Amino acid sequence: MPLYTNNYVLVTIFLFLGILLPVAALTFGRFLRPNNLYPEKQTTYESGVEPTGESWIQFNVKYYIYALLFVIFDVETIFLYPWAVAYDKLGLFALIEMLIFIVLLIIGLIYAWKKKVLEWK
Amino acid sequence: MSGEFIAFFILSLFTIGGAVFMISFTRVVHMVVSLAFTFLSIAGLYVLLEAEFVAVTQVIVYAGAVAIMMLFGIMLTPHREQEEDAGRAQKVVAFIAVAAFFLIAFFIIQGTTWDPSVHHFTEDNTTMIGKTIFTQYVIPFELVSVLLLVALVGAIILAKREENDSE
Repeated sequence: MPLYTNNYVLVTIFLFLGILLPVAALTFGRFLRPNNLYPEKQTTYESGVEPTGESWIQFNVKYYIYALLFVIFDVETIFLYPWAVAYDKLGLFALIEMLIFIVLLIIGLIYAWKKKVLEWK
Repeated sequence: MSGEFIAFFILSLFTIGGAVFMISFTRVVHMVVSLAFTFLSIAGLYVLLEAEFVAVTQVIVYAGAVAIMMLFGIMLTPHREQEEDAGRAQKVVAFIAVAAFFLIAFFIIQGTTWDPSVHHFTEDNTTMIGKTIFTQYVIPFELVSVLLLVALVGAIILAKREENDSE
């Protein structure tokens, strides 16, 4: 039986192809396209609105709460995976455990809701 | 020289390289990108250790969520390119702290006795993790949910106060 880990050779090949493709396409394009630069070409929208200010500005704090909520529920989902895979072998006890886990996080979500974090004014 | 060795070499190079660039870049957005590089390479190292579930978790949580959150965190603070030269005393203190950390880590690694036997868990990694969590480590698992709840509530309180200040 071939080693299971050797399947990762395929994954590596795909990874390299994924990196190689855009690099090759962009380098190829660089040699093919005519090189004739003028200032209008270097603006963000060549024939559109003139951009004002910078792109790296300070964000509103609300985005941060969304990101944090996302991280927390992301971690919760991570715990759901092994539970779901091993569910057949675990039975009722694990179901109750997972319910407690989810209920505790739903309390957090309700708290966020009550604090009007989920609203966008 | 096996393929595993080459992969390990490349991945650890990326891990350390990403970390070093993270420190030496001056623009915060570039820092986050190199940090994401480090996270992804660590995921690769987990794959080499046959810990696939941990590897995927690393990609989803660290490379995905934490990097995004750091980006948001950075975008919330003033982040012009600023090179404040640290004072001499600060440099000395930093050096001592780093040296002490290195020595502690070094001696702990030296003093640890490793289990030389190799286990192969690859085939049903996730099932094994699920079984262990829900039989052996039930209490820590429930504590994790409490921890997540505390983090959530704390973050909301902090961010809410910030918002009220800025209004």
